[in-house]
Amino acid sequence: MTQDERTDRGISREEFLRRAAVVGGAGVLVGLGASSASAARLTGLGPAAESGSLQVLDWSGYEVKDLWKQYAATHPDMKPKFTFMTNEANALGKMRAGLKPDVVHPCVGYVKDFADSGFVQPWTPAMLKNLKNLNPAMVKAGQINGKQWWIPADWGFDKILYRTDKVTPKEKSWSLMFDDRYKGKIAWFDDLNQLVLAGYYLGFKSPYNQTDAQLKKSQDLLKSKKSLVRMFWSSETDLQNAFASGEVWIAYAWPADYVAMKAKKLPVAYMRPKEGALSWVCGFMLGKGSSRVQAAHAYVDAWSSKQAGSWLETNYAYGAANTTARPADVGLMKALQLDNPKAVSEPLAHIDRYIPRRALYSKLWDEVKAS
Amino acid sequence: MTTGTEVTPPPALSKRRRRRDLTTPGLLALPLGWLVVFFVLPICFVGAYSVGALSLFPGAHHVTFTAWHDFVHGSVYLSLFWRSVRMSLTVSVLVVLVAYPLAYFLALSGTKRKYVLLLVLIAPFLTSYLLRVLAWKVILGSNGVLNSMLFWTGLRSPDHPISQLLYSKFAVMLVLGYVWLPFVALPIFVSLESLDRRLLEAASDLGATRWQAFRKITLPLSLPGVAAAFMFVFIPTVGEFVTPSLVGGVTGYMYGNQIADLFGSGLDWQTGSVLSLFLLAVVAGLTLVFSRFLQIGRVTTG
Repeated sequence: MTQDERTDRGISREEFLRRAAVVGGAGVLVGLGASSASAARLTGLGPAAESGSLQVLDWSGYEVKDLWKQYAATHPDMKPKFTFMTNEANALGKMRAGLKPDVVHPCVGYVKDFADSGFVQPWTPAMLKNLKNLNPAMVKAGQINGKQWWIPADWGFDKILYRTDKVTPKEKSWSLMFDDRYKGKIAWFDDLNQLVLAGYYLGFKSPYNQTDAQLKKSQDLLKSKKSLVRMFWSSETDLQNAFASGEVWIAYAWPADYVAMKAKKLPVAYMRPKEGALSWVCGFMLGKGSSRVQAAHAYVDAWSSKQAGSWLETNYAYGAANTTARPADVGLMKALQLDNPKAVSEPLAHIDRYIPRRALYSKLWDEVKAS
Repeated sequence: MTTGTEVTPPPALSKRRRRRDLTTPGLLALPLGWLVVFFVLPICFVGAYSVGALSLFPGAHHVTFTAWHDFVHGSVYLSLFWRSVRMSLTVSVLVVLVAYPLAYFLALSGTKRKYVLLLVLIAPFLTSYLLRVLAWKVILGSNGVLNSMLFWTGLRSPDHPISQLLYSKFAVMLVLGYVWLPFVALPIFVSLESLDRRLLEAASDLGATRWQAFRKITLPLSLPGVAAAFMFVFIPTVGEFVTPSLVGGVTGYMYGNQIADLFGSGLDWQTGSVLSLFLLAVVAGLTLVFSRFLQIGRVTTG
């Protein structure tokens, strides 16, 4: 266990708020000056040509104004109106049912599904001033046929969270998720991602696009190790409750979970497996037929700002796509490797991506759960 | 029951009868319309999804029965379904067994406060469903109330709590039983309450023991209530997904969770629709069987 994978102190709530206020305040000042001018310059029209509230289909928790303060300053009359999605399938379902968001927030693995669905259209990169500061690997992941369909915003690792006082890993590997010594103390993520993880563990070449034989092996591994697992978590709250109360000692987890457990003074480590961490990146897509295209660009540009990114990192312990963003706490930054833009991409981590045969993966994962 | 008693009305009544004929459809229009719009039509949509006539994504699609074929021939979903049915049956039977004496006491003990007691029984329903399920997590957890008590009494070492209490099939069945107990007690209470006490007096006059009176009179007369109570708990629990997702862990995964997953995260509305319709068909079939049973019960005892 290296020092950079732990933070030695949690951050108190007051500290969070104080820092948030400082960062947020700075955001307003910068935002007011810079982007109203740039929006007008880039579009040649200014925001006045569009009207009504900006329709945003987003994850709950992302409606916080600090994340789009710059937009609020330039578009005071076009306040965002939020509808919440529980996952990408849920968002597609809502759009299928007739919801027409100007902006929607899927993660990178679903970019192609959304693009193919006909509910979204590509962005105009020239209208996004902050795009140049976003992690290039992530920006590239949002391109299809040379068009920028998706703008990265927030990201995090999928690594192994474990109790250092109860668990002694044999090696830094995903094998800890399948370790017989900790039967009944392990939590898996309730997602077909488990098959991808199994693929990396088994040393396959393209775990996101496994052959039938490889998928069979991955599925067999999961089925045979399922009896060790206490729970499949689908909400972070569930995981954090179970972890904090000692129900589980080992979990597939996101950075925010690690920070939350640290804050509860639990002795935990957040381990990068030698097979590579997985990483997820979520971002914005532009609704097809949107009548507020310029406002949508301004909104996403606000999210892409350093200020919003720093707020996100400080308060939610997620990474921001803007590589210049920094959390208020240096220990947190080191632990989550936010200062290393390459930490999120190959070979250190495998960014989530389109799975050509997702339906099959999904079915196989369902079978693991139902078996 | 109104079976096979068609009588031609006398001419003088026919005018009134005709007006009544208009009243009945008029009164039925709203509930029937409601059923059509919010029950029959949605089921038709689900049916259309299940054969691919409708799909999540716009664009060309064709009708196919592959999802049905896979469902019937693949073993995974069906075996999960039967596992859920078994769990649900166990819960229903146990809850009815527990609720019966409870309802019996409330209805027949002659206490003046029976309605107050009934209110106490349903008092937990003043709190949210989610809260009550989550409270069980506090009780059943590895460091929960029960295990802490075992540690305290020295019956169990803190290093080895009974971990099967939570995130297991047992937890799901316990919580479901707890949640549905009042619903089960109510119909039994009602059927026992409406019992004609003179029958019991007569039985006693004729020399029947209390046990005989219960077996020959009280129990048969309350059977419709028991059957209704059984359905009250069986139908919702067989498709349950909230409780298993909160306390079920890996082994408590039920058929309803599978449906929720297929629609919610799997993007496979077609298979999800097939599973939903199958569940609906089984539940509808069971309801028919039971409603028949209910009527037979009434006929043979009344």
